[in-house]
Amino acid sequence: MATRVSGPPALDEVLARAGALAGDLELRAVAAWKEAQPGGRALGVLPGWFPGEVARACGWLPVAVSGGGDRVDIVRGDAYYQSYLCHLPRSTVEMALGGFLDPLDGLVAPAICDVIRNFSGVWQMLHPEKLSIYFDFPQDLDPAVGGQFLRRELTRILSALAERGGRFPGPEELRAAIEGENWRRSAVRTLGNLRAEKPWLVPVSEAFLVVRAGAVLPAEEHAALLRDYVRAAEGSGRRPRDDVRVLLVGAFCEQPPIGLLRTLEQAGCVVVDDDLNFGTRALEADVPLDGDPLGNIARTWLEHGAPSSARFESDGSRAAALVATARSRRAQGVVFCAPSFCSPALLDRPSLERACDEAGIPHTSVQYVENTGQFQVVRELAGTFSDSIRLWS
Amino acid sequence: MSPCRRLRTAGVDLGSSAVKVAVVETRGNGEPLLLASEVERIRKRDPRAVADALFRSTCAAAETEPEALDYVATTGEAQGLPFETGHFFGMTTHARGGLFLVPEAAAVLDVGALHARAVAVAPDGRVLRTRMTGQCASGSGQFLENIARYLGVALEDVGPLSLRARKPEPVSGICAVLAETDVINMVSRGIETADILRGIHESIARRLAQLLRSLEAGSPVVITGGLAADEGLAAALAERLAADGAKTGVRTHPLSDRAGAIGAAIWGAVRRGRMDGVPSCEAVA
Repeated sequence: MATRVSGPPALDEVLARAGALAGDLELRAVAAWKEAQPGGRALGVLPGWFPGEVARACGWLPVAVSGGGDRVDIVRGDAYYQSYLCHLPRSTVEMALGGFLDPLDGLVAPAICDVIRNFSGVWQMLHPEKLSIYFDFPQDLDPAVGGQFLRRELTRILSALAERGGRFPGPEELRAAIEGENWRRSAVRTLGNLRAEKPWLVPVSEAFLVVRAGAVLPAEEHAALLRDYVRAAEGSGRRPRDDVRVLLVGAFCEQPPIGLLRTLEQAGCVVVDDDLNFGTRALEADVPLDGDPLGNIARTWLEHGAPSSARFESDGSRAAALVATARSRRAQGVVFCAPSFCSPALLDRPSLERACDEAGIPHTSVQYVENTGQFQVVRELAGTFSDSIRLWS
Repeated sequence: MSPCRRLRTAGVDLGSSAVKVAVVETRGNGEPLLLASEVERIRKRDPRAVADALFRSTCAAAETEPEALDYVATTGEAQGLPFETGHFFGMTTHARGGLFLVPEAAAVLDVGALHARAVAVAPDGRVLRTRMTGQCASGSGQFLENIARYLGVALEDVGPLSLRARKPEPVSGICAVLAETDVINMVSRGIETADILRGIHESIARRLAQLLRSLEAGSPVVITGGLAADEGLAAALAERLAADGAKTGVRTHPLSDRAGAIGAAIWGAVRRGRMDGVPSCEAVA
């Protein structure tokens, strides 16, 4: 009898599963999880950082809500927002009104901009019976000040989740939940390292899908999917192409259509790092498991929070971090890629561009809306950018 | 002097209405020499099949076996053709091709079937700055082709007719759809065909002048792409720039429609040199 040898998972199978999960706007996977977990609840998380372990420890599944992409037609959502605001809140309202978000029992709005902050109020109006949480971040990063503030915020949120039919977790339950999120963080870092070392194995359009798939999965299941993808990509036999290595910066909230990411790749830009699906990589280190769990989460954010336009800073450190990332990832250029009307990203851009200029790093910029369908101009601009690096840098 | 080598390369530019192919040789003095170039309109055929056939016929005209080429560079929509070595994007290739045709050019204005693109170019062909029209078709060749069809005028007659206009009729400068409605109204009002065409040219020229202004383009500007052969458009653009107070000369070249393919072939030689670690003579020059 032949012995069955276990090889790497088939890449197309992993991608098919990731694609189905990433496109699960109706949250069928979440409904299935709730059915399998009697009493389990689901907490929608708008873009930005939120420690999913706090929700998990209370019996809630954190579910990343990142808008409707190019699959939701906005009809009623426009009535809730001014025309000069970004697209994500409109499609999210549309999804809420259309029943897409019914499996959610609550929603948390991290403080990344005024629009997201105010969404907690809109959600309360739409669903007065459900939980609505505004999650504020400290602007003082001194552990004695900002650290205490953040710990109090986490305690407040934990209490709200526990009171709303969940359970009050003890330290061991919190540690178990933190460990699960650490697995996810570790798997995301492994994927990131592979992209930096052998970017031709991991197209950004695939990395985007497998990370986004985690929006509707428990952390440990998502970590397993990410590990499967890494093994499959390593065994794919893909060969390097005559492309330029770039960082993609500015897409930390409203996500670009996948067609835009493919267009950048077709334009000769291989993305070695980005801030897509930012919530999964907002902490650049694992949260320690010993000691005070909530205090550890707060301290990890203060000390190892990823630089982002959605995080307060007053010392120019974001620009320095961008240059450092470009150096460590051996990026030959930076593509600033932000949603239209994204205040944090667009207000930051001039200082980040200046830092690139001073460091001699070529850069270009494009803007998008989550349902953009035409990429010809992006292709031309990004293609000319990659040409200029290939020919002259 | 740095060592360099002689390279024979091809450029294939697949546009939305025509295919252009060029074969170039870079020699010891660093000057690229155009061995052959051809253009073929697609006319509802399979564009890739047209590109394949034209590539082979241009190689034959240059007395070169396709397999003997050092680099086959595609541009435009030709990415992924089976004989491609690498791909360069339109603004990169038109900049270099425009400079090859008009060596004193400081900017290139590529007016194709669907887009207009302005590129400020350094003396060595490097792209300095770029501007593109958006998704609107009213500054493009396809728009002009539609108008010519409505008017029953052959494309090659559009420019000479426009130059004979006595009283140009203004059309909408904002939208191709509105402009086409304008034209239908003009025909029914009995406006002279030459005056209609001149009005269209002036409308396009306004958009192109705006593009050049936003680019802060130097002088002269060389027009490339399918509309470069339209002398009526070149005249309207020169007049528009002068009226705006810009001291920008406008040039065209008989081979302007092939600039993308020529530029691709030249950059292919540079890229081949960089990939092999031995610069082409073009790169050294």
